[in-house]
Amino acid sequence: MNAQINIKGKNMEKSNLESTQEFYDQWINMYKATMGKFIEMPAVGPAREKSEKMMKGFSTFVNLYASGMDTSVNMQNVFKEAMQKVQEKIGADMDGDISPEKYKEFYDIWIQTYSDTFKDFAKSGHFVSDLGKLNAHLMDFQKYNRDMLEDNYLKPMNMPTKTEIDEINKELYTLKKTVKELTSQIKELKENN
Amino acid sequence: MNELKLNKDFDKFKQGMELMMKPPEFSVATTPSQIIYTEDKMKLIHYIPAVAKTHPVPILIVYALVNRYYILDLQPDKSVIKKLLEEGFDVYVIDWGYPSGADRYLTLDDYVNGYLHNSVEKIKERCGLDKITLLGVCQGGTFSIMYSALHPENVQNLVTLVAPVNFDSNKGILNLWAKSLDVDKIVDYYGIVPGDFLNSAFLLLDPFRLMIDKYVGMFERIECNPDDQTCALRNEDYLKNFLRMEKWIFDSPDQAGETFRQFMKDCYQKNLLIKNELNLNGKIVNLKNINMPVLNVMAEFDHLVPNDASIPLSDAISSSDKDTMVFPTGHIGIFVGSKSQKEVCPKIAAWLKLRSDLNGKGDEKIGSGNEEKPELAKEKTLQHNRKNRKSKLTKNET
Repeated sequence: MNAQINIKGKNMEKSNLESTQEFYDQWINMYKATMGKFIEMPAVGPAREKSEKMMKGFSTFVNLYASGMDTSVNMQNVFKEAMQKVQEKIGADMDGDISPEKYKEFYDIWIQTYSDTFKDFAKSGHFVSDLGKLNAHLMDFQKYNRDMLEDNYLKPMNMPTKTEIDEINKELYTLKKTVKELTSQIKELKENN
Repeated sequence: MNELKLNKDFDKFKQGMELMMKPPEFSVATTPSQIIYTEDKMKLIHYIPAVAKTHPVPILIVYALVNRYYILDLQPDKSVIKKLLEEGFDVYVIDWGYPSGADRYLTLDDYVNGYLHNSVEKIKERCGLDKITLLGVCQGGTFSIMYSALHPENVQNLVTLVAPVNFDSNKGILNLWAKSLDVDKIVDYYGIVPGDFLNSAFLLLDPFRLMIDKYVGMFERIECNPDDQTCALRNEDYLKNFLRMEKWIFDSPDQAGETFRQFMKDCYQKNLLIKNELNLNGKIVNLKNINMPVLNVMAEFDHLVPNDASIPLSDAISSSDKDTMVFPTGHIGIFVGSKSQKEVCPKIAAWLKLRSDLNGKGDEKIGSGNEEKPELAKEKTLQHNRKNRKSKLTKNET
């Protein structure tokens, strides 16, 4: 497996994005087959709850990293495609001295091409799927970090946590709603009398 | 020749930088107004009428939760609100405010059947009317549609401006993106969904234009005639308007989590509104209940709410008096573009004028500005409500 990765890695020097993707895929597969299994092992002993939570954090991070890499590779492909289109459009026009007019012309072509290419990509299934996965894994990761912060630091220090504040907010919301409903009923009763 | 051009470009940049280092003072939402009702973070704003006798039925403008209502009053010379006032209307606007942590549990029902309903009731009471006109913009248009379906007895006319009702459209990028999002994870983590989170999605729609070209374009518009005062004023005006728009774009309130969750899941992902299956706290929104005159206004080049998302409204409602207008502009251009003042506002106003007389549908209109009149109106409304309740009771007893 290592030898395989080394061979793929060599291609990366030539900016071959497919090789980059293959390299990440290999890395993830290898992680799942080795370290991932170890991390997913059920924890035992007196500190099992904490250690299991901590271990799960690693998987959350790996998921975020993997989806980040997928997105990054797809983005690089789009940039590469846009760059190629720009090169095709400007051709040999940019050889020799570049005058301000030419520079402006180049800028207009560059912005138009990049904008169009990226907008097309934004509508593609690739991007939509990347966006969904990346966002979901990012939320998992952020939530995990917050839970760890609350469990390991804020609670032991008797500091208020976001979870507790949310509970109070919910209670406040329910009370406010009840007060509004009762006020409205009282008003109606007064008007009827 | 080239050096000359280079010098001109440099002068533009220099002049632009000088202007930016001494930025002109600018303000937004300058049309005179007063707050007549507040509830939690929400404010109901009443604009001071521009004519002595306004059209009898007032207009309540309902804007989206994303971004702020003052896009309709961004520049004194390009203000939808000012134009409506000049056309003789009595205009109100809901300012939803900036939700904080305490508002994370607010639901769509709270917005539609709570804040919006209470605002409508307040205006009815103030004006002594049974019905008012709703003018809903973008997501505010969707809220107005929901409201009109649930409380048709309160709505004289419904005008929807670039408002989505059918969310199953592949023409809008936001519609495509929304389907892939795990909304529960977003709301469960943030609680209050940050405005910047949504703003970054809007920027991703066309990042090169919105994050680079827009600013390059700003410098390109700068004129360079050092001794020409008129030119200097034009530059200053241009920069002021550019900064006004920048302020509006990035002035994005956070979103109440539960409202965001339901709007995204029930509307964008399940498309329940057009199917008459949307449930607001036990109340089903049936679009067939919309029987008042309806004007559906769209922007032909709208990249956020494609026409496909707005057109189905006409077939979904039971109104016999319904019209559609499409203007060759974009989602924002419809409020601040050159066509806004010359075409969009006058045509909406003309449509509304024909439908803003009372015809026995309400009590006599009480004009604004007279201290005694709102009280008189309130009394009339109370009398009317009592009469209604008594007749309801009699019917129930029977």
